Amino acid sequence: MELQPIHPAPKSFLGRYVFSTDHKVIAKQFLWSGLLFLLFGGLLAMLIRWQWAYPGRSVPVVGQALFAKSNGIITPASYNAVFTMHGLIMIFFAITPILIGCLGNFTIPLMIGARDMAFPRLNMASFWTFVASMCFIVLSFFVQLGSAAAGWTTYPPLSTKIGTPGLGQTFVVVAIFLTGAATIMGAVNYVTTVIRFRAPGMGYMRMPLTVWGLWLTSILNVLFVPVLGAAALLLFLDRVFGTQFFISGAAAVRGGGDPILFQHLFWIFGHPEVYILILPAWGVVADFVSFFSRKPAYWYKGSVIAMIAITVLSAIVYGHHMFTTGMNPMLGKAFMILTLIISAPAELLFLNWLHTIWKGSVRLTATMLFTLGVIFVFALGGLTGIYLATISTDLYLHDTMFVVGHFHLTMAAASFLASFAAIHFWFPKMFGRKLNETLGKAHFWTSLVFITLLFVGQLAVGYAGQPRRLWDPHQYTFVQHLAPLNRWTSYFGFALGLSQLLFIFNFFRNVFAPANAEANPWGVGTLEWTIPSPPPPHNFDVIPTVLRGPHEFANPEVQTMLGRDWVAQNEVLPRDAETPGPSVALARGVKST
Amino acid sequence: MKRLELTLALGLGLCPSVALAAPAPEHGWGLPRNVSLHGGRIDWLINVTTVFVVAMFAATVIWLLWSSVFHGRKHKAEYDHGSAKKQIIKAVLLSLLIFGVVDGNLFFSGMADLNDAFWAFDKAEAAPNAVRVQVNAHQWAWDIRHPGADGKFNTADDIVTFNELHVPTGAPVILQLASTDVIHSFSLPNFRTKQDAIPGNVTRLWFQGTEAGEFEIACAQHCGVNHYKMRGVLVVQTPQDYQAWMEEASKLASRAYDPEDKSAHWGWDWDRKNK
Amino acid sequence: MSTTANTFGDPRLAAHRSGTAFLGMVIFMGSWAMLFAGLFFAYGIVRAGTHAWPPTDLPTLPIGWPGVATAALALSSVALQGALSQARKNGKRVGTLTLVALAAGVVFLNLQISVWRNLWTLGLRPETGTYASVFYGLTVFHALHVAVGLVALLFLSTQSLRHRYTATAHIPLRLWTLYWHMVGAVWLLMYVLLYLV
Repeated sequence: MELQPIHPAPKSFLGRYVFSTDHKVIAKQFLWSGLLFLLFGGLLAMLIRWQWAYPGRSVPVVGQALFAKSNGIITPASYNAVFTMHGLIMIFFAITPILIGCLGNFTIPLMIGARDMAFPRLNMASFWTFVASMCFIVLSFFVQLGSAAAGWTTYPPLSTKIGTPGLGQTFVVVAIFLTGAATIMGAVNYVTTVIRFRAPGMGYMRMPLTVWGLWLTSILNVLFVPVLGAAALLLFLDRVFGTQFFISGAAAVRGGGDPILFQHLFWIFGHPEVYILILPAWGVVADFVSFFSRKPAYWYKGSVIAMIAITVLSAIVYGHHMFTTGMNPMLGKAFMILTLIISAPAELLFLNWLHTIWKGSVRLTATMLFTLGVIFVFALGGLTGIYLATISTDLYLHDTMFVVGHFHLTMAAASFLASFAAIHFWFPKMFGRKLNETLGKAHFWTSLVFITLLFVGQLAVGYAGQPRRLWDPHQYTFVQHLAPLNRWTSYFGFALGLSQLLFIFNFFRNVFAPANAEANPWGVGTLEWTIPSPPPPHNFDVIPTVLRGPHEFANPEVQTMLGRDWVAQNEVLPRDAETPGPSVALARGVKST
Repeated sequence: MKRLELTLALGLGLCPSVALAAPAPEHGWGLPRNVSLHGGRIDWLINVTTVFVVAMFAATVIWLLWSSVFHGRKHKAEYDHGSAKKQIIKAVLLSLLIFGVVDGNLFFSGMADLNDAFWAFDKAEAAPNAVRVQVNAHQWAWDIRHPGADGKFNTADDIVTFNELHVPTGAPVILQLASTDVIHSFSLPNFRTKQDAIPGNVTRLWFQGTEAGEFEIACAQHCGVNHYKMRGVLVVQTPQDYQAWMEEASKLASRAYDPEDKSAHWGWDWDRKNK
Repeated sequence: MSTTANTFGDPRLAAHRSGTAFLGMVIFMGSWAMLFAGLFFAYGIVRAGTHAWPPTDLPTLPIGWPGVATAALALSSVALQGALSQARKNGKRVGTLTLVALAAGVVFLNLQISVWRNLWTLGLRPETGTYASVFYGLTVFHALHVAVGLVALLFLSTQSLRHRYTATAHIPLRLWTLYWHMVGAVWLLMYVLLYLV
């Protein structure tokens, strides 16, 4: 019985490319939107860095066009909108669509052997809801008083009409609510698809770790994005209908509401969100270290257990974002111990990656370089997190640039390097063509060097106490001596921005060029590489029957039988054909289907 | 010199618009000077953790380089799933060891820092020489209220200053913070501590200065257009100088006191329990 | 290559489809429950931080009519469940019971609107503080879900009157019944927390 019958592929242009229900097309749609907004968010970052290098000096080239009224200078009000929108765009409109929207959509059905998502029309609705959300974000820049300016965390009362009266902030709150809805639609789809449409033999413990990462991310999305929805809804009511949920102080009626309530709701979502953004990256890294070391993933089950443990823990540590709000000391200490506990499974996962590379046969392709880059920046980002998990050191470091450096290393550097790894790896499957390896490697080395210098520069000024989000940090005497460091960090930032041209060039040179990639250019055994590049609309002519795990490399038995170091997950070995039933050694634990 | 400082300080306290206070700049890339009794604890914990972090990071980098160079294309990959009992025990023990040492140190030292110092408000309140101050934050400045000689808030001898906080050395200083409009955060980098000021709430913070001098108060929480300008000065004085300042300022404050001016009486009753 | 025609022919495939759709709905409902959990959390925090709840100078919430509304919504849920079990055994009263559910739902929404209007004219407005904020915020957001449910019930009624739902094909009915029960359960919690305690 085939669970997903083959439907005739749509013929019209609209049906094929615009209102498509094909997960591969939707993945590309998310990729394009994500890359576009990545560029947008990146340009905003360049403006921030310019401001920190030369506070109050008019921006070269684009300044006169963007900030005409102030003669090219980024005013404090514009600056607030710039850093707020940089954060929101990067998180909700760049990382999320690339790592979850694109990667999730593209890989999940292909890697578990399904013809499409469980609910293809819901999938399409998810993308178009996301488009509506993007429209609100873009519109918010063109209304009076400009876009949102209360920080990406949108803390009230600053984010209510008291602090940011313009329509822009309201639009952004609506956009957050809509993108949350889009994310939930996608997540419901991913969770269901993995539960219901794994190919015969594809047990949970045979899924590629990429799918595990995406699946756990989706579970977190299903559970915690709606809490952000609740926060956004209440903030919307406060802004538009004059309710008093978060209003307090002089503007409150009858004592008013509680600004800290928003922080609770926001971080109940916000901390899982950190893991939502990094779990797909971890999954990808865990697979790639095995694929390109030509060696099985070290203690696969341990990695799965560690990811599950982190997923569970991520839901109960959010209070560490609020150590300085004057929270109940007992509660604060509980959050501190829980947060520190997360580092145990994280270390285990990390050690598994390192062990996988050890004694492998490492191929330093662009994909692998980016993967190793993720390990490098994530080590730095993860390790700097423990200072912030501890309340006493956090009292000093909270709201400084140290926090900024830390979460950029984990969320930005690690997530984007993982995205580039994934794009290099699956590009042949998506577009039927390999990206240029030399350009890819050049892009990797420049990105890695400058991203590290950039965010370590931020850690350094934060260590010296520089508060974050300052229009002119050097107003403070104790920060003044850091001006050269801030300027150099900006130079690294600009260099990082420029080096992305290598990727843009590489991407456009290949994306529209004729397809010429082999079905399996990397010699990898997961299911998507058993079908042509790019795959037909229905993916699999015959739903494969899975016989083994995704990381069966360097198996001596396979080497003697097939003369290669890899074997596809569904590949029937010559010996299996001779003797009925799957081979005992290679297919431990297969249930006959 | 002492005299000059005193006059300067007096002038500052009473004419806040004259920004003569000039906290000394910092040098080098490290932590800013520590001038508080307990800041050293934070510095110790940060530095010890940094040693661990650097060691672990170096080990990771060496591992990555070693395996990329020596276990490259020419190396034959081992067929190893890493799922033998021995390997699992090794992996779990190694991560538990790292966790136990690094996180264990952070946890126990961090708890001690909170219980003995940063969150030990009962101890600070119990000190006979404790100094109590109320701070009301608003966009974009700090209003600061010393209770004056009578130790009570909202009375005629209250000293109200603007962006300038006077405290003595050698005495615990307890602040209660509130905000009129949005959330601010009262941050003292040289004292290694900070606390949010939240509208509708009274939060608290305490510290103890060890040397006289002028240090900066920063707003650490994004609070709007001029957030970057929300800077204050903390004037730490010797107990004698502080006493002299307070007597003089209190006298002047009493003279200017206007009981009709309700908006000037924004202070609140001091509640030791607070939370 | 299988075609659409024999898709419906395979009862195992139909069962798998229905199961998948139901699972998706359950997951979606879980997500949706978290949204309301967030709102109830807000209610708890705001209420704990407000001294006079309800405020003495504002009109108090009625108990009677909202109680009737609660009963109407419960009746509606029961009727829809009845329709579903009728459909499962190819019964005749699917259409009637869905219509009953729709009618009871309309009664609920009407009662809600009249309660709001009454309180509004008495002076309970969102800007009068947290009490009114919580009341309007939660009940109106819930009512929007009721409205969505009513549109769905209208659709289900037209379909079931044409006998579209049978023992083997009733996925929409099954999913919307779950949705409707959730809406009812959330309302019950709201009635207890906002009106009674």
